[in-house]
Amino acid sequence: MEMIRKKRSDNSLIATYLAIGATVVGVMMIFGILMLLAQGGVLELQPAAFYQFLTIHGTGMIGAAALAGAAVMWYFLRNYVDLSKKIFGLNLLFSLIGIVMVIIGVFSFEYASSWTFLYPLPALSANAWGTIGALLYLVGMLVLGVGFLLMYIDVGRAIIKKYGSLGKGLGWDVISGKKAEADAPPATVVASTMVTIVNVTALTAGATVLIMNIINVINPSFTFDPLLAKNLTYAFGHIFANSIIYMGVIAVYEILPRYTNRPWKANRIFLIAWTMSTSFTLVIYTHHMLMDSVMPKWMLIMGQILSYANGLPVLVITAYGALMIVYKSGIKWDMASGLIFISMFGWTVGVVPAIVDATIVVNHVMHNTKWVPGHFHMYMGLGAVVMIFGFMYFLSKEDSSLKTNLFDRIALICYTLSIIGVSGGFLVSGALSTPRRWATHFPDWMGPAVFGAVSGVLAAISVTIFVIHFIRYMMVRNKGNEGKVFHERKLA
Amino acid sequence: MRPGILGILLYGILLLPPIIGLLEGQMILHMLVQLPLLIFSGWLCGAAILRRMPNYRAKWNGNGIPGILVIVFITTYWMLPRAMDESLVFWQVELFKFIGLPFAGLCLRDSWPKIKLVGKSFLFLNYLSMFALMAWLYIDAPVQICNNYAAQEQQLLGWGFLFITATMIIYLVQMVFTDQSEST
Ligand code: HEM
Ligand SMILES: [Cu+2]
Repeated sequence: MEMIRKKRSDNSLIATYLAIGATVVGVMMIFGILMLLAQGGVLELQPAAFYQFLTIHGTGMIGAAALAGAAVMWYFLRNYVDLSKKIFGLNLLFSLIGIVMVIIGVFSFEYASSWTFLYPLPALSANAWGTIGALLYLVGMLVLGVGFLLMYIDVGRAIIKKYGSLGKGLGWDVISGKKAEADAPPATVVASTMVTIVNVTALTAGATVLIMNIINVINPSFTFDPLLAKNLTYAFGHIFANSIIYMGVIAVYEILPRYTNRPWKANRIFLIAWTMSTSFTLVIYTHHMLMDSVMPKWMLIMGQILSYANGLPVLVITAYGALMIVYKSGIKWDMASGLIFISMFGWTVGVVPAIVDATIVVNHVMHNTKWVPGHFHMYMGLGAVVMIFGFMYFLSKEDSSLKTNLFDRIALICYTLSIIGVSGGFLVSGALSTPRRWATHFPDWMGPAVFGAVSGVLAAISVTIFVIHFIRYMMVRNKGNEGKVFHERKLA
Repeated sequence: MRPGILGILLYGILLLPPIIGLLEGQMILHMLVQLPLLIFSGWLCGAAILRRMPNYRAKWNGNGIPGILVIVFITTYWMLPRAMDESLVFWQVELFKFIGLPFAGLCLRDSWPKIKLVGKSFLFLNYLSMFALMAWLYIDAPVQICNNYAAQEQQLLGWGFLFITATMIIYLVQMVFTDQSEST
């Protein structure tokens, strides 16, 4: 009973994470819509404003989704290992400070390097922004990174304490046959271990390149090798952005079994898939370098081959597992299980254009077209983010007696269609060779942008409905009249 | 020999003018030998000194974090290339070096056992990325950064930092991938 009460009080911190994350995602969608309207020639927007919107949209989406993803991970992982709530709270605090600095830097000081802050752009803006804006943004990102780094250190510490090492957290002793499959670490632990490994790497690389940029902004006479800077920047950005889906997928592993009363078994193939994706994720950021002919050829070829394979092992094993666990299970479909299932669809569909793009031949044509946002809006917007929304409905159901209504179900359908619309608009633009990150489009390119904007409005409305439901849940549980022993209630 | 005496001895040796001349004559020796040895001397003397002032320790450095902050500030300062330069030119900076760094070592002695594993790991990773940055800065800089040292020495120092960074990475990887369940 004591345990349950403690967990319930931790839930309020988790809910805060999710409420902030989902709200920011919704607000960032508005900036996305404004960008599309500007590109579509409907809205008069100064290019400077467009690039500020681009910067805040990219940074905000990745930051907010990562926060919410961390909450999903933390919620389930605490059942297996001993996590520090203090550090989890600290991460939220640092993230909020970082976000505020980034917002001030972008909107008050017109900083607009896009979220990839590629060296030497932060210092060389041709006076589009000044030192203060760049410093606010870069230091803000650093502060954000400090919070996340602390959290992953704590997660890693807890996993090592319980399982002995990160290798064992990935189940290497089961893979090697030293331990029986039945004793394999739970799927949640495996995924959390993977995310810890790749994100500690990403954040350490990110800290190096952020401080480098800060030095360069303060004193431009200190210059650095731009190619190494690009490598480190994408090692940070690519990995960190990718990690979101690997935190979100924990919701799939935990929620579907509860709905079907079938366990999600981490068998040997599952473990191998996760280990493969761990190592691929660490090296395939090189696909961002395919245009850099100075990179060693072997690295680029590796980047290409592994890009085909990057998320694929985990995706295949998870999609297959999800189908198997649902198949003839008599699962009851509601908002949570529905969203979780859709997220698997979004993830799968979103990966296909990525694989096409990762081919060097295609990449020379498609890279830097809107094809690229086309693929990642699909797997982020309809994959990772939907896992988070699904978890939010799961939490509100498990932790309160709040019911969903017709609006929620309509929002689910609208959201799915609208993200397909947004991503489809991008993909069509890409096929028309529309460059990405261009504030203004030729008339030929405008159609898909306007279509995307209209779809985007629908998405933003749907997210608003999701958020309203979640806020209502937070209000209900704050009233404290949820005294029932909720965990004994069966979902299935 | 008791560590305290060893520390004083080490400090004394580091103070000898010929040793100062030798270590400060080469950039890499200055940064990666003299500065760390000064910290080490403070750390060696630490136990004996700290034993005599338990109240101060509890009052000022109860949880170890103030001490760690002192260390971070002092060591970060000495990572600035101009700090090394100035210590050769201004006696005040040289004095600060010979007092500040042993003091950092003393703080290290007091703070390290007090901070939690998460804090230790965080510090470790921070120094890891700082050292990587130093390696990058010194190897890559197209200009001579310090007035008193040639560009070539600067590069050598960069490689020294790279070596340290690589060692830290190897240490980290073997720590997290070998079984820790017996030892802790
Ligand atoms: C209503 C939904 C959305 C709309 C209308 C939208 C719109 C846009 C637009 C117009 C761009 C710039 C495309 C260009 O390069 O020309 C963009 C970029 C981007 N979006 Fe979205 N977006 C939406 C949802 C999302 C979501 C859910 C995420 C992630 C969780 C996301 C992450 C990003 C990222 C990372 C970029 C790249 C920024 C850059 O190039 O620096 N977006 N989005
Ligand atoms: Cu990438």
